[in-house]
Amino acid sequence: MSKNNGELNLKQVAEKHTDFPQLIIRKIDTALRGVNFTERAVKKAWDLNALYDAAPELETKGAGLVFGGALFRDGTLVQGVESISSLRGRILRKDKAAPYTLDAIDGKLWLLDDKQPVEEIDFVPIPEYYGKKTSRGTPMIKVVRTGPPDCLNVNVYGYCLFWKEKLPCKYCCFQESLLREGLHTQESLDDIYETVSEALKEKGRWTGMRLIAGSDFRGKTPYENDSNEYIRVLKTLQRSFGTKNIYARLVASAVPKEHLERVKEAGAVAYEPHIEVWDKKVFGKICPGKAKFFGWQYWVDNIIDAVKVFGRGNVCSQLVAGAELAQPYGFKSVEKALKSNLEGVEFLAQHGANVSFCVLWVGQGSVFFAEKQTAAPLEYYVRLAKGIRDIRKKYKLAVDFNDYRRCAIHPDTDLARLDYNEVSYEPVGAGEGR
Amino acid sequence: MSKLSKEVVDLIKDCASIKIVTTTDENGNPHAAFKGCLTVLEDGNLAFAETLEGSQNNINLVRSLWFDKNVQLTVRGKDGKTFQIKGKPYKYSYTGPLYKKFYLAARKKRGQDSEISGVWVIVPEEVRDETYEARKKIEDELHPFFRHFDRESVLVK
Repeated sequence: MSKNNGELNLKQVAEKHTDFPQLIIRKIDTALRGVNFTERAVKKAWDLNALYDAAPELETKGAGLVFGGALFRDGTLVQGVESISSLRGRILRKDKAAPYTLDAIDGKLWLLDDKQPVEEIDFVPIPEYYGKKTSRGTPMIKVVRTGPPDCLNVNVYGYCLFWKEKLPCKYCCFQESLLREGLHTQESLDDIYETVSEALKEKGRWTGMRLIAGSDFRGKTPYENDSNEYIRVLKTLQRSFGTKNIYARLVASAVPKEHLERVKEAGAVAYEPHIEVWDKKVFGKICPGKAKFFGWQYWVDNIIDAVKVFGRGNVCSQLVAGAELAQPYGFKSVEKALKSNLEGVEFLAQHGANVSFCVLWVGQGSVFFAEKQTAAPLEYYVRLAKGIRDIRKKYKLAVDFNDYRRCAIHPDTDLARLDYNEVSYEPVGAGEGR
Repeated sequence: MSKLSKEVVDLIKDCASIKIVTTTDENGNPHAAFKGCLTVLEDGNLAFAETLEGSQNNINLVRSLWFDKNVQLTVRGKDGKTFQIKGKPYKYSYTGPLYKKFYLAARKKRGQDSEISGVWVIVPEEVRDETYEARKKIEDELHPFFRHFDRESVLVK
């Protein structure tokens, strides 16, 4: 059981918030405390085809294990499982917070808290296309990765100019990979086409696709390069699917409306420009790159404009919740942080845009890691998830493309499972977004 | 040990049986749905496919799992033999072998544009014989004053 500096532990939070599913509190807690695997659990993962050794294909020395994922009984994702990946030991957890243990007991998988089994867990099989190669010999696992279980992830480009400018978001820990510039060639686009086409042969597996990249603000107009690359990949995916629209979500920078319309024309249906931190001043400190290119107001305007392009409920921003409490940059009280976040969520909801949050991850390589920052208290995330759910319900916003299956790291969108029928694609109340 | 007798299991596995799942929403409003695919797993738990993620049935099941509420399954054979099973939603699978089995079965039955959203596993807690004759016998024993006097078992000429 967690012993965090006087913060409420899971049992105390669950007793205080009886209207909040304990399984989702547990999920948040796994994100905060991490999960270590016993040798028996690792063996079980191999037995169940939930582990894949990609080291030879990725040409890494060790640390090439790819894990299919772990799910709670309700199908939500167990987080904090980096102990079974190359991120082992690279995530900073709260002081004295004991990690969970995942063990195999009598043939079943259990999450243990302080040696006590608390939840039965299922492993997710790796996809069938892992181990296959494209016609030019590229291992498909290098081209498209999966996770959560329903979702294919395509890298649009692998660098972030904020790192190059020495202005990374302070929680970002992908420094090494995001410094190498390089765009897709026709050959690498063909690899994407072949890999996605192969992945789509697996029956009953995929309902989500995520296109991701760093940030490239260059071009004749802001982020023109960024949108050009998304369009190239979208057109490749149109070949794989044989359709105009691609039911993918674009996790992208704040692309101006003129380019968003081009992106939509290329088949995009859902868009995620991540504001990360709502408060303008704190945003400037935590996300200096986004603040410089091209400022808080620019990013907010982009979210609102995006609703006009993609429609109500098809745009979702994201908060890296807990970052706004990092010292000396952020709020000094959780009440003020919560108030700020929920004001932002409601403001954007009035315009037809969603906001979800993920739990702050303090990973090696980030500014926060060097500063020994930590995530917010468990109860903070429970209150934030509740607050966002209430606002989403009030404005009847759908968030299907970013829910427990298609992204799986947002406690607030986990709760949307209870509200699937309470959505409207027409403006609600004072909302302007359509 | 499973709560389900062989008779109940056989009835559930009979394709000709009618199978209904009843759930309630947060205000207690009931919702019933036919579940022809309801089956019994090797461990004695019950399983059925949920076709639509946004169905009221599915939403109620998620809530029941999260907040430890019971659901009810009713099985009625072609000869009228009927059982009610109270149970708890234990697991919702949308990946792995169990899910795939149901998914491919749904495809076979409904065609290439069909799918399922997931598979629910229910742990049975209580089974009740709801067949008319069985219920009448219990009722007569517990409440003999409720019977009409012109019934054969009351008015013996």
